[in-house]
Amino acid sequence: MPEKRDIEINSRADTIGLMDLDVRPYPVTPPPSYEEVKSTYERRKALEFCDWAEDNLRFEKRYEKDETLTGLTVLDIGLWRLGHKFCASLFGEAGAEVVSIEPPAGDPLRKLTPFGREEYFLQNKESGEKCGMEFVNETVNTYCVTLDVETAEGREIYKKMAANVDVLIDGMPPGYMDDLGIGYRQLKELNPRMVYVWMGMMGQWGPWKDKQSKFGQWMMEPFASAANSWIHNTGLAQDLLPRGKGGDPTRPAIWLADYVAGAQGFLNALAALYWRDEQGGTGQMIEVSGAEALLDILDFDITWYGFNSSIKSRTGGWDACLNQYAWNPCKDGYMMIGGQTDKLWYNIGFCLERDDPQFGRLIHEDPLLKEMAARNALHALIKTYTLTARWLRDTNRVEAETKLLEYQVAAGPVLYIDEVCEFPHFKYRPWVYVHETDYGPLLIASSPASYQLRAPFRCKWMGRDIGYDNYEIYLRWTGMTQSAVTAMKQKGVI
Amino acid sequence: MCDIIWCKKEVNGKPCDTINYLDPYYFWNWEGTINCAECGTVYYIHMIQGFMYRGPEERDGEKPDTSPIYADKPYDGYSSYRPGVNGRTRPFQCTPRKELLGVADMVKFSIRGRPVRGWRPQPPSAGLAGSHGFKWDIAKLSPEVWEEYQKKLAAGEVKDW
Amino acid sequence: MAQDPRVTRMEELPGPKSKGEMEEFKMPYEEYCKKLFDIGKEHTKPRPLKGIRWLSCTMYIFTPHAVANLAELGAEVIKLEIPRMGEPMRHTSPFNEVYLYPFSDMRPTTGTGLGYTNANPNKYFITIDYHIPEMREVFYSLVKKSDGMTELYRPGTLDKWKMSYRYLSEINPRFIYVWGGGFGYGPKIFGGSYDILGQAHAGLASITGMHEFMGGHCSKCTNWVIDWQSGNLISCAIMAAIHHRRKTGLGTMIEFSQVQVPTRMLGHTTTMYGKFGIVRQRWGNWDTQLAVHGIILCGKSDFPDAENPQDKYDARYVMVSAFQDRDFKELCDITGLKELYEKYKAHKDRVEGEAQVEIYGALERWAADKSRSEVAKFLTDAGLLAEPVRNDREVYESPHYRERGTVRWMEDPLFGDVLVHGGYSTGLMEKTPRRINWHWRPLGADNKKIYRDLLGFPLSKIEEWYKKAYI
Ligand SMILES: [Zn+2]
Repeated sequence: MPEKRDIEINSRADTIGLMDLDVRPYPVTPPPSYEEVKSTYERRKALEFCDWAEDNLRFEKRYEKDETLTGLTVLDIGLWRLGHKFCASLFGEAGAEVVSIEPPAGDPLRKLTPFGREEYFLQNKESGEKCGMEFVNETVNTYCVTLDVETAEGREIYKKMAANVDVLIDGMPPGYMDDLGIGYRQLKELNPRMVYVWMGMMGQWGPWKDKQSKFGQWMMEPFASAANSWIHNTGLAQDLLPRGKGGDPTRPAIWLADYVAGAQGFLNALAALYWRDEQGGTGQMIEVSGAEALLDILDFDITWYGFNSSIKSRTGGWDACLNQYAWNPCKDGYMMIGGQTDKLWYNIGFCLERDDPQFGRLIHEDPLLKEMAARNALHALIKTYTLTARWLRDTNRVEAETKLLEYQVAAGPVLYIDEVCEFPHFKYRPWVYVHETDYGPLLIASSPASYQLRAPFRCKWMGRDIGYDNYEIYLRWTGMTQSAVTAMKQKGVI
Repeated sequence: MCDIIWCKKEVNGKPCDTINYLDPYYFWNWEGTINCAECGTVYYIHMIQGFMYRGPEERDGEKPDTSPIYADKPYDGYSSYRPGVNGRTRPFQCTPRKELLGVADMVKFSIRGRPVRGWRPQPPSAGLAGSHGFKWDIAKLSPEVWEEYQKKLAAGEVKDW
Repeated sequence: MAQDPRVTRMEELPGPKSKGEMEEFKMPYEEYCKKLFDIGKEHTKPRPLKGIRWLSCTMYIFTPHAVANLAELGAEVIKLEIPRMGEPMRHTSPFNEVYLYPFSDMRPTTGTGLGYTNANPNKYFITIDYHIPEMREVFYSLVKKSDGMTELYRPGTLDKWKMSYRYLSEINPRFIYVWGGGFGYGPKIFGGSYDILGQAHAGLASITGMHEFMGGHCSKCTNWVIDWQSGNLISCAIMAAIHHRRKTGLGTMIEFSQVQVPTRMLGHTTTMYGKFGIVRQRWGNWDTQLAVHGIILCGKSDFPDAENPQDKYDARYVMVSAFQDRDFKELCDITGLKELYEKYKAHKDRVEGEAQVEIYGALERWAADKSRSEVAKFLTDAGLLAEPVRNDREVYESPHYRERGTVRWMEDPLFGDVLVHGGYSTGLMEKTPRRINWHWRPLGADNKKIYRDLLGFPLSKIEEWYKKAYI
């Protein structure tokens, strides 16, 4: 236990440091032990298989295993957005050598911090340099170099680097690199085996391509989510909450399109490399836009419009296709319950009618609700969820989950991040864990591709000072000596 | 009674016996008056965190602030008032089309006028063990639709987009 | 900025240049890109995953989509479904309205619901009942001929039937085995999972929606984002494993839990909690790190007389972005909010919570007598960034997606005229583009093709299995 201290708090700034991991260790309560989990395995008579899975897939063993993409080199250039960064990070997590180029002043994303609060910047323990949390989280296993490609020397250096890479990720505005003479059509002459991935919000060509303001401000998320009806579809109906007070189309809180485009960029690039290496192909250009990457996963919505002119509406915590499949308010927050097939649907009913016999009667008697597909009609959702919420009103999330799991119903609370981090399963895997970074120990999310037998993805480092790897990378990738790099630094090129 | 109002008002010597559903998001924190979808009786309710803190209390002669969005009658085979029945239930405007069906829409042509297999029943067309080829022989399987399509083509009702 | 490279830099590049190449360098960049991708000619180009065969023992969206990505990239994918019933997503349709027929000739009045869309293109569909020992042998013969499979059953289920990686790697050491589900090993291993559970459990829901002081509630992304994106990330892991196998010759097992995917995409949220103890809350349609960068409600709809309620009532929202100092100054100047610029000249001041409440409030009052398109046009004419929040009709009618082929009509071989918005939109590829051949196929539509044409079983045997509901 840390020693007791007298603390005077006059402003938010005085609280900084009081909650850090050395004062308030994570996790607050220990993760479940193997012995506890073992009894779960045994109850389903799956102990042998589960032990096999634990032995072979465990997160803790990731570092001792092989990496997938060793030997592959990736160059990444871009600012502000997370799409190209997430894509580059996936390459980094899979073992490729990834170099990210920023201008000498650094990526402006480094300066972003929630509500502008500079006290939430992370500080490099060694150098003292500060950086925003978002940048650090989305720069995994990448080397950071600086280069001003708007200078002639900068472009020469850039060309040398691009000449030997397997993948180049371009997160700059449409035509920007081409205008500088270092876009795909110039570089492919130097390096025909290069897979070139452009990544942005809307596209580098076409009537709605990425724009900049007259002052040069970039388009960022949620412009992509706004352009494909994702936002239009999200949020509560104005019939259920007043407009302007929550009954509105709603953006996802995260820069969602960046993550989806980043994944597709990585996937397409790996497919292109497979074609190049396995089938004797060449390099090529790939273009991924956030707006379209979301269009791909827009359920069936545009197809539906083509069928009978339906324009998907928002349904808040409910779902237009499945019943039950929703979260509704409960005693201490929101509770998600899902069970669509007859078996699960009635299991929900059996569970709820133990506490509320009327639920069972009004739901199970109603001929309208007897057929699975018919239960998805709007009025059926209203009836079902009104009665469900009446049960939830008296039930907290833990009670609800416990009761429903007894009936094998998929049920889970809406969790806030502190609850997520303390959720037993999250701690056991672990899905969040403390990672030692250059900025001290940080609580981070683990990669979902870390649980593999042979070559799991992994985070080794995250975040870097601006230009931290200049000397190493320019030496190895272009043969520039220390003095040459220093000279370029003085000229503002690096 | 909490998230529903089971109206027991006597109408013509019989209890109304209609359940008015108070949907969770709208009424989670709410105070005001609401009508019964069947008999029109106005009730005052005050809901806090989903609890009926006060009510339902009859308020004769008052104009209701709102209506339930759905109501049904358990003693009448669950006959119901769906959303948007004038003077009875609240409209639900946030819908994908003006009128929702709640049952499968029988569609023979896409919005640009070309045939799409969106109606039932379809004549059997599977081969061995449920196998299908890669062709919809519409002229043979559904000649009336094929004919209608020819008419549409002739009338210029088939578009590219 | 540089001198124009299209004139001066071309000759410096190595190698002789043909006339065509010279022309190519003179093209405006947009035209060049358009030529490169050559939309509509996808099927004339090679398939990047030609030769890969994958088994899709999947249901719902998450795992089917993980394999659909491979099918779009040209792998041969065989989907195995329960005889007679098919998988649950075939019975899922928005508001129970949209189905395509036939489902199978056994059930002439049943259709496949639109919920099945985009997760199953290009697949071959067979039926199989794993409970029958005889059919497990048939399954093994598929495994011997395939590169991998994706399944979603409760952990241990396939192991009991000797169909888990432990057994399959014995008969095919190159086999890549993927389990996709909710939780994986650990205390909640047997917990079922859905997209919505991922959204709820892993923190995404807690920060999406209007803030409590605005009267809002947590909102789901209506679209099944965690199913789809988890599918994408499985495909990423599969491709990485295929690359690893090129080096080592060995297959692998991947255990992929969708419930952790949202947490990985929460950016700074987890770190901020760990270091500062701060629990991130909902912040509605604004941005916690940038201002002005949010969606505002306008007073008037663009289509007050439209029939469809989505046009009529909801064409009222605009995404406005002017977070850089000069952009913000211009925004304040032209909307008559100069005093706000004076008050919040520095970005760190205007991105504070109270400032955002004041600024967006003022912008919405300014927009109260304007329509969505008036606001967007006014701002873009002034050189600022603003775009309407679009709906499905507007996506369909968008010249952008049409020209790029990311929304297109397709003549499905069995179902007719279908509007497609998946696959092509995952990214344009110059030389090995994705493609959609068919939307989906009826249940068991490829039983003959796979059991006879691939595996060589006699037709009488297949018929016998079908009658016994083994397939
Ligand atoms: Zn009544």
